[in-house]
Formats: sequence, structure tokens, C-alpha cells
Amino acid sequence: MSLLKTVGLRASYGQVDVLLGIDIDVSEGEMVVVLGANGAGKTTTMRAVSGTIARSGSVVFDGQEIVSQSAESIVRLGVAHVPQGRGTFSELTVEENLRIGAYIRKDSIESDIARWYETFPRLEERQNQRAGSLSGGEQQMLAIARALMSRPRLLLCDEPSLGLAPLVTQELFEVLKNLNEQDGLSVLLVEQNANLALKVASKVYLLETGQVVASGSAEAIAGDERIRKAYLGG
Amino acid sequence: MLKIKEGSLQHWAIRIVGFALLALLVIYIPTQSETARIGQFASAFTLIIAAMSLNMVLGFTGQISLGHSAFFGIGGYTAAILIRDHGWSPGYTFYAAAVIAFVVGCLIGLPVLRIRGAYLALVTLAVAVLFPTLLRWKKLEWLTDGAKGIDSVKYDDLPVWPILGELKGRDGRAVFSYWLGLLVLVIVYLVCRGLIRSRVGRSLIAIRDNETAAAVMGVNVTRTKVLIFGISASMCALAGVLATLNSGVVTPDGQFVTLLGSIIFLLIMVVGGAGTLSGPIIGGLVYVWLDNTTRGIGTDSSGVLGFVFGWTDQSPATLILGLALIVIMLFAPTGLMGLLRKLTRRIMTIIPRDISPTQ
Repeated sequence: MSLLKTVGLRASYGQVDVLLGIDIDVSEGEMVVVLGANGAGKTTTMRAVSGTIARSGSVVFDGQEIVSQSAESIVRLGVAHVPQGRGTFSELTVEENLRIGAYIRKDSIESDIARWYETFPRLEERQNQRAGSLSGGEQQMLAIARALMSRPRLLLCDEPSLGLAPLVTQELFEVLKNLNEQDGLSVLLVEQNANLALKVASKVYLLETGQVVASGSAEAIAGDERIRKAYLGG
Repeated sequence: MLKIKEGSLQHWAIRIVGFALLALLVIYIPTQSETARIGQFASAFTLIIAAMSLNMVLGFTGQISLGHSAFFGIGGYTAAILIRDHGWSPGYTFYAAAVIAFVVGCLIGLPVLRIRGAYLALVTLAVAVLFPTLLRWKKLEWLTDGAKGIDSVKYDDLPVWPILGELKGRDGRAVFSYWLGLLVLVIVYLVCRGLIRSRVGRSLIAIRDNETAAAVMGVNVTRTKVLIFGISASMCALAGVLATLNSGVVTPDGQFVTLLGSIIFLLIMVVGGAGTLSGPIIGGLVYVWLDNTTRGIGTDSSGVLGFVFGWTDQSPATLILGLALIVIMLFAPTGLMGLLRKLTRRIMTIIPRDISPTQ
């Protein structure tokens, strides 16, 4: 069943059109990756879905049209966005960051905090530190854990590997994969690291200057000679 | 270096000793000082409240406002008009001023807070510049008395407060201003502290740190900004009411009603420590102390002081504070409060309680 479906999604920054009509489909429980070069519109696609940029076209989440909804109401429907560059609140402590991740929830969140501390033990060690004092990898973990605090059905993850050591990146992808496989969390992932992304994702969209130029299963894309040459480095 | 656990016996001892010293000082000033000194503290309290209100918007939420002098003025004028023209008892004017300033603050904030950074500074600056002009406007003279302002705001019925007893004359009025100012200051401080330590406070700091990320957490950024602007405006109006009650005069040229007021609130907040709860208190006390010790410096000064400040016939406190600001920004970018924290950390650290969630 389709959880997220965009049809002809368009967005622009001022006079510059960045998305020229994107069609993306994420099924329930699926991990989908969006690949593409710099400036292809990957981040803008994420922002158009989460409502942090003006956009037009159609975005249907769980049967509901959300293209004209505000960011704060979209998160209430179950879409959590881990922005590019992490966007952790540097002056708040790790724990406060997690608490604000559950801003939309009225029920008890203590067990969720305990759960994400278990998944990311390093966050528990640093629970009273300011998020700004964490390393890049720890901040990325915090950003993901914070997004999960809202108990989303769809996680938008914008380039989690940005500026991280390969080993840390691998660790993060392992966590994302587990969340997807064991908890059935649907994930829409934007990545530059195509080789790694293709290993965890089931479906791939290839973006080029604001348009989807290729899509298909991860195996099919990984096996496509032409695409391998252009995006995967041979 | 001492290491002290939060909630331990030593920690409580330090807290109690600190609080006792503060209480002693607070009681010492109005009972043992000369009238002028008591009055200085009373005016410091009003400035501290104004700086605290600005701190909520600028320090914690990251939205610059140079228009807070207008809210100070709204408070001052509300009190003056209600007491003189409508015979209100001074106490009730606090409520009226807070409500009016909240509404005006929200109305201004609604369009204005969609703009960011330097543009927001400029628009709020326009508010500060416009306000005194509005007060002098011919068509509003029936309300504001135009350029000459409202003087002789009199209230004869100084309330008899328990313990303090009956207060009479100039001394009594100063003592009354002191305690009233302190009462409002404590209330405003507690409200700020309650807000900052709550879910609301976290969302304010989140907006300051990263507005987009705050929005995707579900924070209604515009509504939160407008509301905190309104709350801040009403706090600043309380300071204005206090100033009118203390001096009995309010004019469109009053120092804190004009743009200069906004700058002074800003200076106090930054020098004390933006984004800290106690920063404005330190900043306000330093400002008033500087203002009073430098007041004599000016045209008729001799020596080095005369050479440096001889050209001005005003108190150079703002100027000196401005210079101090540059020095503080170089050596203690988090203000005097940050400096104080750094120094205490050399002597001792308070280790936070383990708050890992256990179930």
C-alpha cells in the first residue's frame, strides 16, 4: 500500500525552479532512496514533502493530501524529517533535544527516551551535554533519535552520511536498516553515497536537475551499466 | 577544585548561604541606605524587568526587537492616564497595562515576526521611532497631553503593607517603590523561569537554534514567536508602569520611551548575559551603578575624564557601557553572567543528578 505518493511535485527558490514535477512513491514499510548529484533537487524534495518550503502539485500521505499543509501539521500526521546538516539544537542538552522531538505528543515519552538511549548508547553517556558539544556522528544519531521521538510512520532522512567517517556512516545505516526491517518504519532516504544506499534500500529514484530520470528496484539500478558509470563510479 | 553533586548536602548548603546573603542584601538596602540609593535600586528594578522582557524575545528566541521602548511607554502612559484621568488605584493599572501591551505586542508581532534578522531590527526600530511621534500627535492630545506629557501622576494612598508599616514622605515613597519594584521583578523572573524550563522554553530555544528544524518537530513557529513577543511586551509594560509610579511623570521625550530606551535595554541584556535568566539582573545593576557614578562626568569635568567626556552634557553611562560591551564581547561573549559561571567553575563544579529514565 502506498504511504507517500507525490505527483508532479514542483518547488522553487524565488525565480529558480528546483523541482520540475517529481513523482515518487513510498510503500508502507519500504526503504526508498533518492540519488542524484549536487543541485539535483534531493533536499528540496524532502523539504517539499515535510512542508518546510512552498510547493505545488500533489503530495498524498496515507490517503490525505498534504501539499498545502504546514510543517507542524505534517509532523503530526506521522512524517518526521531529519534535515540535512542534522539541525540539532546546539544550546539544548541531548535529552532536551529528544524531548522536543516528542513535542507533538501528549503521552508519556520516558520509555521512548530509554529505547533510543539503548539504540544509541553514546547519547545516553552524553545526555546532559549540550548538543553543540557532540561530534558530527553523535549529532546525526541525535537528529535521528529526535525525529523518532515523534513515533513517525515515515522517516525522511536527508544525507545522514554528510561529513561522517565511513565507519560511523556504516553504523548509522545499520540502525536505519534495523528500524526498517524490524519495526516496519518506512524510510525515504537521500544519499550521495550511492553504493551504501543501494545496499539498504529496496527502491531507488534517480534525480537530475529537478526531474526523476530513472527509477526501479535497487538491484535493477545497481545492475544498469549506464547508471553505474554515471553515479556509482563504474 | 571542588566537585559537588546536585542535590547533595553541600549543594544545598551553598544554595542556602547564597539565598541568605541575597535576602540580607535585599533587606539591608531599603532599611540602611540613604533615600537616593534606595531610589536608584528602584529604578534599576524597572530596567532589569525591561531587559528581562527583551531577553525572552532576543536572548531565548533569537528575534531582535528594538521596539521595546514603545511597550515601556505603553505601560507608562497606561498607568498615568488611568490614575490621573480615571482615578484608578495604581495597583490595577499593572493589569490594564499588561493586557494592552500584550494585545499591541501580538498585533505588531503578527506581521513583523515573519521577517528575520536585520530586517526585523529595522522594522522594530521604526516602531520605537514612531511611538514618541504618535504620543505628540495633535489628534491624540486629548489622551496623551501631547509633547508636554503627563506629569503629576499622584496617588496619595500608599498602601500599608505588613511588616513595612506606614510609609510617609519622600523616604516612604522610595521605600515603597523599592519593594513594589522588587515584587514585580520577582514575579516577572519566576514567570520567565517557568516559561524557559517548560516545553515552551525548549521550543523558544529550538526556534533560536534552528527555525526549520523546530518547525519539523511540530513547533508552530509563527504562533510561538508572536505569543512570546506579546508576553514580552506585557512584561516590558509592567516596567513602564513602575517607572511612572516612581517618578510621577511620563513624557514623549522620556529616556526609556524613545529609541534610546530600547538600546539601553539591549545593552543591559547583552552585558549581563543574553539567554540567561539572571543576566539582566547583573546587567541592570551594573548599568544603574555606572549611570550614577558617571553622572557628574561631563562638561565641567577636569583632567582625563574631562578630556574624554567633556563634549557631552549627558551622563556618559550609555557610552561607557557601550565601550564596556565591546570589551565584554571580546573577553566574555556570554556576558557578565557567562564570566561569572566560568569563574565559579574554576572553584567548583556542580555535577548534575543522574536523570536517565528508569522504569
